[in-house]
Amino acid sequence: MARPAVILVGADKGGVGKTTVARTLLDYFGAHNTATRAFDTESPRGTLKRFHPAVTEVVDVTSVPDQMKIFDTLGNAAAKVTVIDVRAGLLSPTLQALNDIGFIESAKKGQITFAVFHILGPSIASLQEIAETSQFVGDASYYLVKNHINDTSFFEWDPGTYNSYFKQIKGAEEITIPKLNEMACEQVEVASVPYVSFVANKNAKGEAANYSFVLRGYVRHWLGNVWGEYDRVKLADLVSPKIENNVRQVAG
Amino acid sequence: MPPSRADARAASGKVMSFRYSVTIVASPRPRVGKTLLARLLTDFYIHEGRSVEAFDLNSGEGTLAQFMPEHATASGIADIQGQMALFDKLIADDDTTKVVDLGHESFESFFTLAKQIGFAEEARRRGIAPAILFVITPDRTSVEAYSRLRSRLPQAALTPVHNEILGPAQHRDKYPTTGAGTAPVRLSALAPGLRRYIEKPPFSFSDARLADAKGIPIEVHIELQRWLRKIYLEFRELDLRILLADLQSSIRLQS
Repeated sequence: MARPAVILVGADKGGVGKTTVARTLLDYFGAHNTATRAFDTESPRGTLKRFHPAVTEVVDVTSVPDQMKIFDTLGNAAAKVTVIDVRAGLLSPTLQALNDIGFIESAKKGQITFAVFHILGPSIASLQEIAETSQFVGDASYYLVKNHINDTSFFEWDPGTYNSYFKQIKGAEEITIPKLNEMACEQVEVASVPYVSFVANKNAKGEAANYSFVLRGYVRHWLGNVWGEYDRVKLADLVSPKIENNVRQVAG
Repeated sequence: MPPSRADARAASGKVMSFRYSVTIVASPRPRVGKTLLARLLTDFYIHEGRSVEAFDLNSGEGTLAQFMPEHATASGIADIQGQMALFDKLIADDDTTKVVDLGHESFESFFTLAKQIGFAEEARRRGIAPAILFVITPDRTSVEAYSRLRSRLPQAALTPVHNEILGPAQHRDKYPTTGAGTAPVRLSALAPGLRRYIEKPPFSFSDARLADAKGIPIEVHIELQRWLRKIYLEFRELDLRILLADLQSSIRLQS
């Protein structure tokens, strides 16, 4: 059996599209037939849970009972991949907590696959966070995600500053999430369904829906690009070395 | 919401032949007879008793929407609202044959978008046959655009159209047809003296009272009808070729 994988999706500030990335990850593993569960730390009401209610549980990742719920079940949960959507600003405290309970240590020993998706905001404050988090990540696969989905401006970083932070994490990789048309974005929000369901024209119950074909086309194209990025960094191999890597076609 | 017919078809798992087509009249060049071709095609469908809707992506004078205001809608794809209004309609499950008169300015953006949103695949899935009527000219822009279209939208039947008024087509070998139901369509030239009768919008060839309403002399009318019949024959053959190709592919799928 493949060893369990934990993917932490976090950012130090809100509104950078953390949950969007978590959603694309759930869709991606779904398309690869990899059973996945998710924890949403946006308690008490999680955005991730709204889109993926069947696999998502809302937790407080800093509370001990909830930590037990997540980490004590890693070995025996049916889901091989655990995605944790970490609330804004809690990435460092969460990593600290994981360090304290010895999770980082087990990841180092190779008992658990551990990956961090650090969603970068358009400001330099976000990079400051890298310095803080880098001390905890150990051997985790670290992805710096430039998320363009809901912004039109470019990242205004001085490349020198950026690189100096970037280098602090050994083997960190960059992922770029392209922009999705605002109207398409909005309609998926309104529909409250996973991106793949929207593309396949299905509502939350799996029944035929009536979304605009053009908007579905935009989402399909965008999701294809996002998954292309995940393929590029060989995400599927990371969580389960054997799974096929050719599932690029979204349903429909 | 009840499942749409397309979904019902998909669920039944039966291979169905297409029920109607979406034909895109295109060329990256201006003034090669696209709108005339679109008018004739729209009128051909009306003449055949089919329900038809045309979309006009041209600006300026003498557009399809001006010639056939009852059947053609002025459309635009510069913004997403326009894109939705056009493409959502093109693949709608409404048993209506669609014609798109693609202005040369919209050529690139239309096919880029069509490819991006998976237009041809979705159309096929819904039992709609997408076809492109490409007016051929000897210039490199057109030849390259044609050859790119073949790889960009392989699911659409790409048919070269030789507009005889543009001269003899000695460049036909630059426009190879690709198996599936495609052979060049010939648009014969109308006698020069007759052109002025059909060039003032609104105008519909399928108008039963054409001669009276437009003050067209009887001998001109007869000549016009003869010309129309030739072109309609070309369209009918094109339709049959597409149908045949579709039947052949469903037979292959079933066996």
